[in-house]
Amino acid sequence: CTGKFDDMNKNPAKLSDAGARELPFMFTRAQSAATIHRPYYQTISILMPDLYAQYFALTTTSFQTDRYVMNDGWLSRPGIITYVLTLPQLQTIFDNTERSSGEYALANIMMTYTFHRLTDYYGPVPYFEAGQASSSIAYDPQDKIYDDLFKRLDSAVTNLKAGTAANVFGNYDIIYEGNVQQWIRFANTLRLRLALRISKVDPARAKTEAEAAVAGGVMTAASHSAYIKRSAKGDDANGLATNAVNNEFSMSSTMASYLKGYNDPRLPIYFQPAVASGQFKGLRNGSSATDINKPGNRPAQTSNVGPRWVNWNGATWIGQLEATQPVMHAAEAWFLRAEGALNGWNMDGTAQELYEKGIAASMQEWGINDLTVINSYITSAAVPAAPGDEAGSPAVAATPVKWAATGSMQRLQIGTQKWLALYPDGQEAWAEFRRSGYPVMYPVLQSDNSDLPAGTFINRLPYSSVEASTNGAALEKARQMLGGPDNAATRVWWDVD
Amino acid sequence: QNQPIKGTVKDAVSQAPIPGVSVSVKGASQGTATGIDGGFSIQAAADAVLVFSFIGYEKKEVPVGAQTVLNITLQQSASQLGEVVVTALGIERKTRSLGYATQQLNNTDLTTVRQPGANIMNSLSGKVAGAVITPAATGPGGAVRVVLRGNRSISGNNNALIVVDGVPIDNTMTTEPGGSGSANTVATQQKSIASGYSGSDGAASINPDDVESITVLKGPAAAALYGSRAANGALVITTKKGKSGKVTMNYNGGVAIDRPYLLMDLQNTYGRGNGGVYGAQAGESWGAPTTTYKNNVRDFYNTGVTLNSSVNISGGTDKLRGYASYTHNANNGIVPKNRLERNTLNLRLTGELLPRLTTDVKVTYMNQIIKNKPRLGDNGVTNEALIMPRDMHPDSLRNFERLDKTGQPVPVYWTTSSAFQNPYWDVHRTALNEERNRITLMGLAKYQLTDWLSVQGRYSLDRYDDKITGSYYFGTIPVPTLTGGRYQEAYINRWERNMDVLISGNNKLGNDFGINYNAGAAVLRNRGYNSQSFANGLSIPNQFNLNFAATPAFSNLTVEKEIQSVYGNAQLDFRQQLFLDVSARNDWSSTLPAPHSYFYPSVGLSAILSDMLNLPDWISFSKVRAAYTQVGNDADPYLLIQTYTYSLGAGNGFVARDQIKYISDLKPEKTESWEAGTEWRFLDGRLGLDATVYKSNTYNQLIFIGLPQPSGYNQQYINAGNIQNQGVEVMLTGTPVRRQNFTWNSSLNFALNRNKAISLSPGVTQAALTTATGFGSLLVKPGGMYGDIYDYVWSQDSKTGQYLVTTAGLPAVTALQKIGNYNPDYTLGWSNQLQYKRFNLSMLIDGRVGGMVISGTDAMTAYFGIADYTTKYRDGGLVLPGLKPDGTTNTTAITAEQLWTQVSQGGRNGYGQFFAYSATNFRLRELSLGYDFDWQNKLVKSARLSLTGRNLFFFYRGKSLLDIPGIGKRTIPVDPEVAIGSSNYQGIESGILPITRSIGLNLSLSF
Repeated sequence: CTGKFDDMNKNPAKLSDAGARELPFMFTRAQSAATIHRPYYQTISILMPDLYAQYFALTTTSFQTDRYVMNDGWLSRPGIITYVLTLPQLQTIFDNTERSSGEYALANIMMTYTFHRLTDYYGPVPYFEAGQASSSIAYDPQDKIYDDLFKRLDSAVTNLKAGTAANVFGNYDIIYEGNVQQWIRFANTLRLRLALRISKVDPARAKTEAEAAVAGGVMTAASHSAYIKRSAKGDDANGLATNAVNNEFSMSSTMASYLKGYNDPRLPIYFQPAVASGQFKGLRNGSSATDINKPGNRPAQTSNVGPRWVNWNGATWIGQLEATQPVMHAAEAWFLRAEGALNGWNMDGTAQELYEKGIAASMQEWGINDLTVINSYITSAAVPAAPGDEAGSPAVAATPVKWAATGSMQRLQIGTQKWLALYPDGQEAWAEFRRSGYPVMYPVLQSDNSDLPAGTFINRLPYSSVEASTNGAALEKARQMLGGPDNAATRVWWDVD
Repeated sequence: QNQPIKGTVKDAVSQAPIPGVSVSVKGASQGTATGIDGGFSIQAAADAVLVFSFIGYEKKEVPVGAQTVLNITLQQSASQLGEVVVTALGIERKTRSLGYATQQLNNTDLTTVRQPGANIMNSLSGKVAGAVITPAATGPGGAVRVVLRGNRSISGNNNALIVVDGVPIDNTMTTEPGGSGSANTVATQQKSIASGYSGSDGAASINPDDVESITVLKGPAAAALYGSRAANGALVITTKKGKSGKVTMNYNGGVAIDRPYLLMDLQNTYGRGNGGVYGAQAGESWGAPTTTYKNNVRDFYNTGVTLNSSVNISGGTDKLRGYASYTHNANNGIVPKNRLERNTLNLRLTGELLPRLTTDVKVTYMNQIIKNKPRLGDNGVTNEALIMPRDMHPDSLRNFERLDKTGQPVPVYWTTSSAFQNPYWDVHRTALNEERNRITLMGLAKYQLTDWLSVQGRYSLDRYDDKITGSYYFGTIPVPTLTGGRYQEAYINRWERNMDVLISGNNKLGNDFGINYNAGAAVLRNRGYNSQSFANGLSIPNQFNLNFAATPAFSNLTVEKEIQSVYGNAQLDFRQQLFLDVSARNDWSSTLPAPHSYFYPSVGLSAILSDMLNLPDWISFSKVRAAYTQVGNDADPYLLIQTYTYSLGAGNGFVARDQIKYISDLKPEKTESWEAGTEWRFLDGRLGLDATVYKSNTYNQLIFIGLPQPSGYNQQYINAGNIQNQGVEVMLTGTPVRRQNFTWNSSLNFALNRNKAISLSPGVTQAALTTATGFGSLLVKPGGMYGDIYDYVWSQDSKTGQYLVTTAGLPAVTALQKIGNYNPDYTLGWSNQLQYKRFNLSMLIDGRVGGMVISGTDAMTAYFGIADYTTKYRDGGLVLPGLKPDGTTNTTAITAEQLWTQVSQGGRNGYGQFFAYSATNFRLRELSLGYDFDWQNKLVKSARLSLTGRNLFFFYRGKSLLDIPGIGKRTIPVDPEVAIGSSNYQGIESGILPITRSIGLNLSLSF
């Protein structure tokens, strides 16, 4: 009498199949996770890259990552995002759709997006064998991964352009609601980003890819920018808003120095005045516990992120949990082109023109549409100011906004304005800081990581002990590819002088 | 013609009266029991025979004749010839015939010294050889882990099966606070509630006052017939039945007060701040020397009060007997507002209404309410109270809120944190309440077909419904973002039905041989349903009802399985001296792939040497025994196919493949075990010895192992492995003194278990047990032991053994090194009962030697500069001896703050070796002093008043693993025997409640 056993052993609360009905929902999951959804946002965005990019500095002594201490438990999380939460859904789409379809193309773009972020953290990561249910999965060198990512983007754009569908996935696409034209621009902008990333290590490939991307059409207007929907339901709230409520970090002195010095109209959008003083104020990255506990550095005395994310109701912070989250800004495309133009590539414009359009695009994206305001900013001779922090820091740099005469200053200006425009995507900003060295940042006041003495900056994330224990043999080989010890000081492939 | 007969019953040697002796008329149903002074009175005819029986004494039959006064003496049973224990399926067996070890506990062992934990399993501590009892430190009603003869299952349950009146009860494990759940299967998720709270278990709702006895069947041999779930041994509980004759009534009441014991050792010199500088809003106490408040943590806790009262009434005729009881337990925990209230009603009718037909019907109803269950774990209420700065006046934290302009409370805290909040806010503005209604039904009918053959049918149902609600005022950590506050409601229903038939018979085969046999079939159906609703944000702030939900969310879980079984056993005896036992069972489980079937046999042998051989007089009894058993085990439901989960989110929500890879060829787990033992009684039973050796191997375990993350799965199930346990159990019992007015009984138990993970699967180097804290990993590696703890250790130079330090002079560490094992090397329990005239004194001392605990709570007090040992080197000057990375000797001086904040890593992810302690400890666990009043002729027949104490003090507590140069060895600041939960995650605690020392008064009355 075991006839009913098979039915009884089927879980009614789960799906036991993933087919055409489920694919759109799986694409949504992949998008939500790849852009770092709420459960991971605090640790692998705010407490690591956002500090390394010096967007924020900690006002709590509960965490040590601002002094470059590595938290092993968090180091495995970027891998969870990519391999466990994103990849299986994309794989299911690859397995169940035609290679030439729009669905396949969109999955390819998300695949590229999540893997370039992952490999930029660590260097070599498992890529070609990823997704196989095997007990050992090989790591691949970063150049091979980049090569394949370029191919994925190229084929995605080709197929989207050739395809007849104007809309793919509809409102299951929580970035562009399925708009194919938007996805073509997104893919090309991503391709341009990757091209600039390898511009020092492989200039020839970089030029080819960048020119193909621009020719194929990149983002230009604020309306092209990619924002992902967030929801208070489930585990999908806006991560920055959720964590800003805890008020454990504030504007960094670096941000304060640039934004205040430039009299930047984005200052009150990115951050808000301290609750107690009504003043914009930051603190230095790498502050010691003693410094953090100075009355002037406490949360009420420093600037939380802007009202787009949190609002003070007089007693407590209220988070805008459903605020959309920027994934890629149109302004970035302009700055990437500006740098490309300085490299002598055909970027369809002069470096200055592209630089100034980038500033304007960023302003417009944040709601500053008054051309007088924008133009006076672009032509301003203002330079960063002393941030007015407890450490008494001087101005961080002397980089003006107004287009300079020399190439090296121009590169610094592009890097600085791109850094301001990328906010709050610390992960991309940190990657570009590592590659270019721009903008100029304050050294951390104190480093508690002996591999990174104060005065140096962090170059990568070490592999986590989870990999060592579950994929140890493959990891050992990966460590041989690193070209240095497996620590936070070793540079990744594209990070060369 | 009946006539009244009176008399007393005394011990044949000591001449001490024996209370509680059963006195009955042979062949009839009337009976009585002797009172405190050994006296009895009964109505009997002259041709009647009176039967006197009592556990531990030989039964005596006395013809009445013309006598009206009978003064009887009973001989202590040297051989325990007639002693009967209840074994698998409720089958009663003579102890002497068993091929395996058992141990029995009686009602008084369970009800004399009451447990503040309000879980009957706590009463087993120190009393059962080979049992490791670990309560979850979560306040009253918490789950208790009972492991017999070592851990054997990596992903599954290691708890002993609990059987009440022949029927297994649901005792599903619960997840621990912050835990990932034992195997993360739906069955455990099904019981998990709000994160941070430790769940209750099925044993917690057994009323100790209704329990007649507990037989501990230690190994799988004993339990083979219970099948799948009994591989961990079984606790066979027999509850009270009505007795015929005069109606008797008993009352048992007690009160106990519980004070927190082993609060951490805190410093009383430095106030809040960092670097020796005062910081008004600093979270830590690394500030300047200042006025401190020594008792600010202690004052947070209340004195707990435990109240028990139980009344039962029993009586009936030879055709129908009844037993009814009502018990009320109330328990105020030491955390303010935490309270348990439990009411249990029990009704049982037994009888022979028709010739040859025996019936037994029982209904038990229990209602239990736990209010304000404390949140445990690294950011639980214990740590919130502990980390308050030493210079914090308790009153300034007691003002835990202010009101906003709409009159709603806003938390007040001296510092800001996303992990911790004011513990008083936690107590007053968050509440997790649990209510459980449990009903157990049992009905049995047995028909005697012939005088040698009977058939029995039994039906039982165990069902409980939990309603769990959690409310969190707006502003509560860790959900402050949910505007308006948060509310959640969970309904958990568990349902288990057992139906079985059993044919039993016995025959004589010639003059010398006899045979006993049983054959049966059973169907077990187990269902669970868990429905949770969440109001994530409340539109009307702090209005805790789902109707006000700003963002409602729901989740549902169902589990269901069925096991069908056939089984049989036969026992052949030769002159009642030599016994051969064989059994076999086949199960079909819905959780396994077709054909769903697995089979397992057992065989046992026992020989009474003292009957077979001519032994010297001073040896009164001698027996040897041996058994071999296999037990199969199925798995949790729903593991055979890959599943995908829908969840809420932006757009239309998400579908994601589950992170655990399915196992389509799941095989049943198999445990193979051997045991051999011997029992001896010397000097008329004044001294007894019972010793057992055993070995068990568990194969084909369902192991939950990590797959490389890049595979896209977090984990997978595999069937693999061979986990071995071998050990020794010894029990010594003795009566050093037996005089007219003074008796001293003493018993000592000793157990040792050695575990070895012989193999996992080829290519699999380790399997991890569950995790619940940021400390350590519990890894099972081939060649290692179950319970090995791996964590960061202080690195040492491979050649010289010198410690390594960083350029900053701080300890350099290496990850994932083995630092110890959580299992004790051996356990000891010594219990004594002394009787002098009407005074009774009983005392239980027990200890565990070996084993290790990482104290996350200790790491927390280190990080915050709260622990007493953080006072050394506050001003610097600590030069750790060791080598720097460049190979030179370290000369860099550091401060205590640098050292402790570095090694504690925020207190939540610290370097385990620095907070690891030996779990060795010896304590006076139970003490009771009773007096029996002589109220024989009044309304009250007997009365005993006892003064009791539990956890009175430690004789010894373990020391820290590291002897940090300049700091020295530290003594473990927590009770090494309590855990954060009752799953396999043991040996690492974080934020558990302090244990309590209880002192109580207990009164028993018989009417």
